[in-house]
Amino acid sequence: MLNATILLQILWTSLATSSYYVLFAVAFALVLKVTRIFNFAQAAIMTVAFYSAFVTVQWLEWPAWAAFVVMMAITLAASFALERIGFEALRKRGVSVMFVFVFTFMVSEFVAYLAMLAFGTWPQTIFPTIFWPVTLVGNIAISAWDLPAIGATIVMLALLFSFMRFTRMGQFMVGVADNPDLAELYGVNKRQIFLVTVLMAGALVAVGMFLYGTRAQVLPQTGLSLMLFAIAATIIGGIGNLAGAAIAAVILGVIQNSSILVIPSEWQGLLLYVFLFLAIVFFPNGLRMPRRRRRFATATRDIGDNQDVSAAEGQV
Amino acid sequence: MAAVLEVRGLNKSFDGIVVARDIELSLQPGQVVGLIGPNGAGKTSLFNLISGVVKPDSGTVALDGARIDALKFHERVRAGLSRTWQHIRLFPSLTVLDNLLIGSTDYPGERLVNVLFAGKRVRTHNVLAREKALTILGKIGLSAAAGALVSDLPYGQQKLVGVGRALMRDGKCLLLDEPMAGVEGQSYAAMQRVVREVAAQGVAVCIVEHNVAFIQDLCDEGVFMFSGAILARGPVAELIRNPQLTELYFGH
Amino acid sequence: MEYIDGIIIIVGLYVILATSFNLIIGYGGLVSIAHPVFFALGAYTSAILARNFGLPVPLAMVAGMVVALVASVALVLPTLRVSGDYLLIASIGFQLGVLEIIKNVRFTGGAGGYTNIPPFLIRDFGREAYVALVLAVMVAVILLVRLVARSDYGRAMSAMRDDELAFASLGRNAMWMKLAIFGLGSGLAGLAGALYAHYFRFITPEQFEILQSSAILTMVVVGGMRTTWGPIVGALLLEALPQAITFLNLPPSILGPIQGLLFTGLVLVFMFFRPQGLVPAENVWRGGGGETR
Repeated sequence: MLNATILLQILWTSLATSSYYVLFAVAFALVLKVTRIFNFAQAAIMTVAFYSAFVTVQWLEWPAWAAFVVMMAITLAASFALERIGFEALRKRGVSVMFVFVFTFMVSEFVAYLAMLAFGTWPQTIFPTIFWPVTLVGNIAISAWDLPAIGATIVMLALLFSFMRFTRMGQFMVGVADNPDLAELYGVNKRQIFLVTVLMAGALVAVGMFLYGTRAQVLPQTGLSLMLFAIAATIIGGIGNLAGAAIAAVILGVIQNSSILVIPSEWQGLLLYVFLFLAIVFFPNGLRMPRRRRRFATATRDIGDNQDVSAAEGQV
Repeated sequence: MAAVLEVRGLNKSFDGIVVARDIELSLQPGQVVGLIGPNGAGKTSLFNLISGVVKPDSGTVALDGARIDALKFHERVRAGLSRTWQHIRLFPSLTVLDNLLIGSTDYPGERLVNVLFAGKRVRTHNVLAREKALTILGKIGLSAAAGALVSDLPYGQQKLVGVGRALMRDGKCLLLDEPMAGVEGQSYAAMQRVVREVAAQGVAVCIVEHNVAFIQDLCDEGVFMFSGAILARGPVAELIRNPQLTELYFGH
Repeated sequence: MEYIDGIIIIVGLYVILATSFNLIIGYGGLVSIAHPVFFALGAYTSAILARNFGLPVPLAMVAGMVVALVASVALVLPTLRVSGDYLLIASIGFQLGVLEIIKNVRFTGGAGGYTNIPPFLIRDFGREAYVALVLAVMVAVILLVRLVARSDYGRAMSAMRDDELAFASLGRNAMWMKLAIFGLGSGLAGLAGALYAHYFRFITPEQFEILQSSAILTMVVVGGMRTTWGPIVGALLLEALPQAITFLNLPPSILGPIQGLLFTGLVLVFMFFRPQGLVPAENVWRGGGGETR
């Protein structure tokens, strides 16, 4: 029963619903690019974002715009705390990768348990209903949620990209991403840049969760599953490549939603993990090798012996 | 006499910068070759390319007549190509003696199965390895430091331990990356002794160094690198007298 | 008495899990959270082979161990070829993904769980025999890991953790070593799973969820990595705590999260104030076999 209408419908819906995936992926990719941290604690930020909106709308019964403002404020505060109290302390101690991982993972779990305690383990949504009025364009059903979602995503991405390209701070972020110590020699305040990065990621996450939570159900553990999506997209898109992460998120979103045509629904959940595995094994450097412009790094002929071990193991 | 190490047409660029350009190098058994040149000439990169840490764009490397291009880094070491590091890279969690001991391979005790069984074979091998390690420690004058932690040793002695570790395998070719940087006094003399002795045993040695006196003392031949290419070869004395090379060396 | 036997067995199994995980993450330096999934694979394999295929339980248990081992190699081999950082992410995907499969497939009983697992030893020799079995395996695992850590193998592991590139420069294949450690550790987790299955005779996917990852990770990190006693202390502590809380008679919906908060909170506190854990490891490798001193 595969006709153009069904295909177009699925394409449209998956496009609209990949909006939040894009935001989560870009947030994760941004923090990874600039701070070089695999921020599993993003799941915690996501959980905080959702439940603050939920409480504001459903418990306090404030209007949607107020809920959005409150959610943004609380999410940014949480991001601030994560960077200043968490990451900075870890940086100061010069801890290992394992340490950072355990920390970020545990923070996410901790917040998830807090949420379980406070809100129970049944699914919630920001508004009491996730049903939106639908208009038919041709034979395609377009939900009243779709366009604002896509619009919000585009706006956030546009803000992000123009910030990084046109403002000094944005360019500093790129510099720190390339070579943090060198950027510091040029007078860039690394501390500030890291904070700005994490805050911006928080903003992206907040919008993303507002979109997700008004369209789908959320459990305290949802953050972690959504994170895997973000991680898969970041890897496939190429580490350091924000546009790549965004595009990969859209493509993965479309594939996941379209998969309903070919696989039974109980296996849909598995698809994400398959993506992740494929991403790691076949596309560890991303589908496109980013040509990073080395504005801050000096050109050098001596590779030196601080080689990535992957060079010793994988390439030769 | 067949060359121990034969490098032909090695090329490598990174991000548009040429790190190695048509490198040709040949090492005979017992020969000591000094690789000199200014910073950024590509000397350490060449070691990385030869040892297999980095994959070249083109070119071949052969050890004792057999091509080793398809071998991974650790496989090349097993084939007889040892190297040391500019930044030493000793193991901080092991004592000096253990750092040396681990320089040797093929410990039966390093097979999981043998951890439970094969007690006698493990012990015999380890006794032999220990003797060898203690001998080397003696040669570099650090017998007293066997039980010490690496971090307790001064820089020069750490460097000696690094070289000692590379000597635990009876390799055919030894690449030393700036063994004298930061080393003085007794350690300097010890390093000289060690290199001479190793070469006398028929090992081909290539040394990257900035310490020209050391190179002049020890090396039969010098190779001058600049911008990824070999500009000149010949007796070290001639190379350092050459005004153009000297300008390149100090001008940059 | 049955209640106490059950607790002893659980604690014993967690000691096995923590000790084997310590081998992987502490001695091997391999960052992964996929331990509960191997516990699950061991349990399900042994249970299914014994119940559906009539395999004698001891054989089924060994099969469980083998399946866990092979699965761990399937996880590690492709990912390590790429880079060590990816193992972590891949392990998260593997842990969640395989459990997703177990929840959806009919022959594992799906989300409802697998029941009527054949018993072992108890009918003929009583519960105490099974307790003795678990404790014996536990002691064997502790001694095995200790032996490995203090042997030449342990020395090599220590060097590999310190500096993998220098390790390769000594002619050693880090990949093989990581595979072996991961396989051994995961196989032992599988064995624990099989032992669990044939005592409690009922397993559900929920018992092997990511909460267990946090718990086991906490045991090792809080107990003390790279020590023999660390995981033991960690396992005892983390099994004692929930037992203590049950006396407060909280409803299960609160009990679960509170336990989780305790686990994760403990790790976070320890990480900031006592990162070496309760039983601190020496920062120098020392052999114990007598071959090297």
